Amino acid sequence: MNNSHRRIPAWLTDYLGMAGALGLLLLIFGLSTENFFSAATFGTIANQIPDTTIMAVGMTWVLIIAGIDLSVGSVMALSGAVLGVALARFGIPLPVAVVACLLVGLLCGLASGLIVVAWSLPSFIVTLGMMEIARGATYLVTQSRTLYVSDRLEMITDTTLLGLSAPFLLAVLIVLVAQFVLSMTVFGRHMVAVGTNETAARLSGIAVRRVRLAVFAVSGLLCGVAALINTARYQANPNNGIGMELQVIAAVVIGGTSLMGGRGSVVSTFFGVLIIKVLGTGLAQTGAQEPTKRLVTGCVIIAAVVLDYYRRRLRKTGTEAAQ
Amino acid sequence: MFANRSRLNKYPLLPFFVAALLLTVIASGCTKRGSQDGKPRIALVMKSLANEFFKTMEEGARGHHAEHKDLYNLKVVGIRNEEDVAQQVDLIETIIAQGTDAIVIAPADSEALIPVCKKAMAAGIVVINIDNKLDRARLEREGIQIPFVGPDNRKGAKLAGDYLAAKLKAGDEVAIIEGVPNAFNGIQRKAGFQDAIAAAGLNLVSSQSGNWETAKAAECVSAIATEYPGLKAVLCANDSMALGAVDALKTAGRTDTVYIVGFDNIEAVQKLVKNGKVLCTVDQHGDQLAVYGIEYALDILNTKAAPADKETPVDLVTAETLK
Repeated sequence: MNNSHRRIPAWLTDYLGMAGALGLLLLIFGLSTENFFSAATFGTIANQIPDTTIMAVGMTWVLIIAGIDLSVGSVMALSGAVLGVALARFGIPLPVAVVACLLVGLLCGLASGLIVVAWSLPSFIVTLGMMEIARGATYLVTQSRTLYVSDRLEMITDTTLLGLSAPFLLAVLIVLVAQFVLSMTVFGRHMVAVGTNETAARLSGIAVRRVRLAVFAVSGLLCGVAALINTARYQANPNNGIGMELQVIAAVVIGGTSLMGGRGSVVSTFFGVLIIKVLGTGLAQTGAQEPTKRLVTGCVIIAAVVLDYYRRRLRKTGTEAAQ
Repeated sequence: MFANRSRLNKYPLLPFFVAALLLTVIASGCTKRGSQDGKPRIALVMKSLANEFFKTMEEGARGHHAEHKDLYNLKVVGIRNEEDVAQQVDLIETIIAQGTDAIVIAPADSEALIPVCKKAMAAGIVVINIDNKLDRARLEREGIQIPFVGPDNRKGAKLAGDYLAAKLKAGDEVAIIEGVPNAFNGIQRKAGFQDAIAAAGLNLVSSQSGNWETAKAAECVSAIATEYPGLKAVLCANDSMALGAVDALKTAGRTDTVYIVGFDNIEAVQKLVKNGKVLCTVDQHGDQLAVYGIEYALDILNTKAAPADKETPVDLVTAETLK
């Protein structure tokens, strides 16, 4: 009883900690630039995070089951490439092209998942392979050329509701649904169980393989969704999303999800994405040069995970004291 | 000597090295046999073949070779990422081992590739530098001369900058989006933009690296546009980044008040130049760049002429020239 009472404030402090860190960044940039606190800044950020956020949701699930998905950047690029080629080269109707884009993402995720499950392989190496396969396929599909498709995808970027863009609203919706599934459904509990102790999970009757397969498939599908948004904004460029997997993993880990599995939160991931984006935008707005940007970003990533360590320790002692 | 050998035997990896050595010998034996048709062998060492610009360059070279099959043998190799210096060095070492008459190289780095080029020259291979110019001072220090066949990027950027300046008035705020910090052509383009900006008395408010990438450039341009509400133009060191600028300004609702300048004349940007979303770009005739290098290499091989730099054309591309 006591325990469950404690758990609710603990969740709250989690979010408050992240929000505090974010607030601190906003304050620093607000003071060091002239126009950081403006609707334009926040509009821009809201417009630029949806693709990363959606991929980070999938990655959160993957990390929770103690896996990793290095292929997300490439799979997104491949999905976007298929979308671009379908629209720009073959003139296929938009709905069909969108379905193809999502299917490509889903199939890549399924393929990674099947291989991981079938041979009980570490997902690190399987998805590293998939990263190469998908990138190579992207170059083949696009013939290494950028395809201009924004004019056909304007309905994705230009649709707004209450001043918020459709991609942003979609990303928020996906975050909420994914968090709900994670914390309120049997499947979500199974994910945590698989990530905490796979053997124990199997012995207690959880279909471990099915859970893992499903999580990788979802991660792939979400890459397809992210590709719709990314391509609508940046065109079908075969080099889209290079290095994005690390950016996504960084955001997820900053959000307090454990690389070791069994612990994580999708909502916190959203804060992680925000922190990285605010940092990027803020640094660009101060006019910082590339070396400074990289140094500062690296320091913030490390500071965030160190903070997370202390926060967890505090919470642990708090729980123990309560018992 | 014997002591050395017995110590070597302690290394468990020795058989692998022997195997690798054998493979190299076999491989080089094969190529040497395959090329005894008396035609000069030219190796074209590219940067990332995944990049549209280099892909165009490569296709130009292959097209040229297809038409002049009786004149020379062509081998094209490329690296994975544009910045993968180590892989390019390895490639050249392999080529030297296999034997060739000339190497036409687009170096991934303007200094790091000099030692291995020197090695190639010592092996009697004619080395021609294309695309990214090798560092003059370093070449002099090494006591070698490698001719550069290619466009003057600074001149090209100045052309674009001047065209822009004619649309603006002195004191107008402009920003530069640079390439990867250490890339020579990026540095030259920035210098060319700066020349034009200085000549017209424009006010350069920010200059940041977009790493040649669309998404990164969008982030920078958004931030700069927010910070400087009076911004009149963004000069991008390549077209991929110009695509990012187009997106950023569209999101900010400033498409009509901010000019965008690109560089490279890729297909996706031509459309935007035609409809006025991008003011101008620069064509350095990518499809011919490798061909110029190959032709010059053949020239030197045939005439034994002393190598000297050769400048290739750069042209301004605007809505009028595309008509």
